[in-house]
Amino acid sequence: MTRFLINRAITALISILGVMVIVFVIMRLSGDPTLLLAPQGASAQDIERLRHELGFDQPIAMQFFQYMWMVLHFDYGTSFVQRIPVLTIIGSRLPYTLWLALTALAFAITIGLLIGIASAARRGGWIERLLLPLILVGQSLPTFWSGILLIMLFSVHLGWLPSSGADQASSVILPALALGALSMATFARIARTAVIDELSKDYVRAIRAKGIGETRVILTHVLRNASIPVITIAAIEIANLLAGSAIVETVFAWPGLGQLAVQTITGRDFLVAQALVLIAAITYIVLNFIADLLYSLVDPRICLGARGR
Amino acid sequence: MRVTSLSQWLTKKKAWGVLPFAIILFVFILLALCAPLIAPLDPLNQSLLARLKPPGFFANGVTRWLGSDELGRDLLSRVIYGTRISLLVALLSVCVSGSVGTLIGLIAGYRRGWTEILIMRAVDIMMSIPAILLAILMVAVLGPSVTNLVIVLGLTRWPRYTRIAYAQTLVVANMPYVTAARLAGARMPRILFHHLLPNILAPLVVVATLEFGLMILYEAGLSFLGLGIQPPTPSWGAIMNAGRDYIASAWWITVFPGVCLFLVVLSVNLLGDYLRDYFDRRSMTS
Amino acid sequence: MKFLGDIMKLHKLGLALITGLALASTSALTQVSAQTKDALSIDLPNEPGNLDPHGQYDTDSYGVYRNIFDNLVTRDVSGKIIPKVATSWTYASDTVLDFTLRSDIKFHDGTPLTAEDVAFSITRIINPAFKSPQLANFNSITKAEVTGPGKVRVTTASPYPVLLAQLVNMSIVPKAYVEKVGDVQFNLQPIGSGPYKFSSWQKGARVVLEANDTYWEGKPPFKTVTFNNVPNTATRIADLKTGRADIIRFLTADDAVQIKADPALKLLTAETERIGYLFVNALATPTKDVRVRKAIAMGIDRNLIISALLGGYGKQVDIIGAPSIFGYTPDVKGYPFDPAGARELLKQAGAVGAELTFLTSPAYDQRIVQAIQQMLNDIGLKVTISSSDQRTFLQKRQGNPEEAGSLAYGVWSCACQDEDGIILPLFKTGTIWSKYSNPEFDKAVTAARETLKEDERLKNYAKAHAFIKEDVPGVGLYQFVALYASRKELQWTPTANEAFFINQMKWQN
Repeated sequence: MTRFLINRAITALISILGVMVIVFVIMRLSGDPTLLLAPQGASAQDIERLRHELGFDQPIAMQFFQYMWMVLHFDYGTSFVQRIPVLTIIGSRLPYTLWLALTALAFAITIGLLIGIASAARRGGWIERLLLPLILVGQSLPTFWSGILLIMLFSVHLGWLPSSGADQASSVILPALALGALSMATFARIARTAVIDELSKDYVRAIRAKGIGETRVILTHVLRNASIPVITIAAIEIANLLAGSAIVETVFAWPGLGQLAVQTITGRDFLVAQALVLIAAITYIVLNFIADLLYSLVDPRICLGARGR
Repeated sequence: MRVTSLSQWLTKKKAWGVLPFAIILFVFILLALCAPLIAPLDPLNQSLLARLKPPGFFANGVTRWLGSDELGRDLLSRVIYGTRISLLVALLSVCVSGSVGTLIGLIAGYRRGWTEILIMRAVDIMMSIPAILLAILMVAVLGPSVTNLVIVLGLTRWPRYTRIAYAQTLVVANMPYVTAARLAGARMPRILFHHLLPNILAPLVVVATLEFGLMILYEAGLSFLGLGIQPPTPSWGAIMNAGRDYIASAWWITVFPGVCLFLVVLSVNLLGDYLRDYFDRRSMTS
Repeated sequence: MKFLGDIMKLHKLGLALITGLALASTSALTQVSAQTKDALSIDLPNEPGNLDPHGQYDTDSYGVYRNIFDNLVTRDVSGKIIPKVATSWTYASDTVLDFTLRSDIKFHDGTPLTAEDVAFSITRIINPAFKSPQLANFNSITKAEVTGPGKVRVTTASPYPVLLAQLVNMSIVPKAYVEKVGDVQFNLQPIGSGPYKFSSWQKGARVVLEANDTYWEGKPPFKTVTFNNVPNTATRIADLKTGRADIIRFLTADDAVQIKADPALKLLTAETERIGYLFVNALATPTKDVRVRKAIAMGIDRNLIISALLGGYGKQVDIIGAPSIFGYTPDVKGYPFDPAGARELLKQAGAVGAELTFLTSPAYDQRIVQAIQQMLNDIGLKVTISSSDQRTFLQKRQGNPEEAGSLAYGVWSCACQDEDGIILPLFKTGTIWSKYSNPEFDKAVTAARETLKEDERLKNYAKAHAFIKEDVPGVGLYQFVALYASRKELQWTPTANEAFFINQMKWQN
């Protein structure tokens, strides 16, 4: 177990370092923010001076080592655009992203699983024929379009929900629906396949032969085993949700990290963007780790750290 | 009844159920191939005095069946030509990421050792950078064009194939027939492509179909961020992005390409599901 | 059936879970009070860069912080420069300007605004170590010093006629407070002397201001003002319709149609100092030939752009200037729309079918870019649009003439209502924007910059405009009309410099 943890930690560090190098280099290649910060009438010398003051005239390697030195001291720098510490900016926005992503995930998992399980239990029933394709709709529309349609229907037309922002508890419903719709079908699909697989196994036949009701068969026996693929997918889907939130947050004016990421990358606010990518990478690694831990909880046969047989 | 008839369900009903979607996909591929023959008007030709006209609008001897867009261009023609670009971008980027990803995964699974470690770390690194952010950055560096879009999407998506190809190769590489081939002196490319690839292809094809739908949506997403196909070239994403400010006043600009996009993504997804079931069943029976 | 029943139970459980999660998370976050008559809510497409008035140069920050701070001078509705913090000013010499200040202004922390604060503010901006993005607008100033109680002297390196116009955009910050808390803290908790006090900034969501009831010009009209960050246009319009916002900015003519159709809303318009123009590369690419550039000027139907794409919200211009901008001349006329003549010119130049690159970015109205592309293709050119993100666009546009493309569309404003901030940076040899070189033109704009005599300046600008017409390094298209939409009850007259003074708005009773 200890060896497993050490191994994981080392590979995680290598991944994070790799992510930082790649993002750092591509970001510098895409140009520094000086041109975006200067007024229209600025002369070439004005711009050069601003560039020098911001330190972008130094070699990339130098800038990278300076940045790494800062990060090692848990200093993520100050935003060139907002002129306040990066951590302050991210700290105030992170709760919103979590709020949105978790609500979206809750929507996606509950609705997706219910439909998936129900359509596996009643093959060819109305759930499989109607609802399964219906939630595929959510996965097949660009969110910048479906999002505005949701606003127009539920906010402008019906007046049920707030049109944008994060002012009230109900504000999260529309963006979470738009975002969750992207993963709903995935969960339904995975759950359906997994349950069908399990239902065809011998132990289910044995349980059924004992005269146990269908509902109990599914809820107590099948679901436990079918949950492994669902957990795997959930880990990947959270990462997808965080990425998908870039567009959904823009459409719904949701003050989360997704919108910030798009703004800071187009605005070349390097330090903020780098910190965001760092957070995304760590999230991804941690989620995968949690998924692995969950496997062993759900199915003790899976042994952590065991090399492939 | 449920369990015993399962395989029958899959073979009979499922295949028939998937047929309409195969037809839809075929129709769209036909539209893409024959766009110049089918499109009634030049998709780039503007008419500033006939902007935002509703479907069925008739002027100068031509009917604009789907109406006109924000610059008075014929929407039907734009959607037809847009099919071409959208499908092309999706197809090419799936080909690029699929072939690169599969090849790398094969090598990692077969060679093991340092190659394996290096490749799988690279996969981890690529997977932990949010794809859309990486795409924004790379489009900024390379500049948006159809070619660059394909490169960007290909470069950000290859790790998905690598993971699967790698896992499958690990299983297959130890099979007796592969060992036999190696002992018989077969070279690596031959083993990879003749012995390993055919046996790991099925799950990769399924992923590719799902990715195909996703790529169409990604292209649309990049258009929303202003980094998609160059105007005035139409793609579904580009048309919808230009029309998103007109959802209330000129719904047709977004609805028609939106429906096309939906139909294609849906059909591809359902075909992917069918293929998965099909392959699963085949592997079960064999 | 029993199974379905269980599913329903599970479903309810799920719903309860979601609602619980949503409620739990909100209680931790700030709640905005319900809309009252005392409040004003504004949707902006971006959040302010920052609220340090010297710390950025962007419209979104400007619209917010101008309400927190007072400036040395300001403009009235007609555009004339009038007193604000300064009551009067006199030129001691061509390079020395003396200001006399009001003595009854207090910062929000109660300390009085003095000459020290004014001198400190100017010195702060021109200090290169502060890295102010606005430095380029003020770097002709060499020093600012206190010459007595309520007296400040500003010295420039050479005569600089646009100094006052630039000072319109200069906010006064409290010296004692800034020095005490430092730049970062000042930026987080800005204190000014304006009609509104900074209350809170929830990053990415909103900035809230509170009325400064003891403001020296009188009690402000709303108790609280909220600036929401809403990037998507359709969402902003939805916000206005649902009442989440009372006023929104930066609409297009097509959005205006929607606003007009809603009886609860109204459209507000103002001719601005922004000029829509087409840049034409005179130093490289096929447009190096002046006949090609003239053909381009003749091939653009400015009227059609204004009537069809701008819905009439725009005024055709003959030069890159307008009557509200100093340096305007009515004597230089634009090229009339003449596609046949343009084709003829291209033939003479042997440039039929010449391939031109039209640089642009998502920041510019793509409909106008595409319309111009088609117009130029119609006269026989082959124009390709090359769109990249704003940063890359600027790098190309401001870089070598060979890589700057042949064409680019822009909407220019210097926020100073003076040609010195428009045609000089756009066309003078060697500036980053200029892809044009004519010593005579350079002489005219330089001469106009180095004297304070207005008639001499005007004469030089008239000359400069004539050169631009002859050499076509750029084509003036239209004067930009800013469109705002608000609830019917809001009373406000927007101004030419696009200042967004909440103090001038009020609810109609």
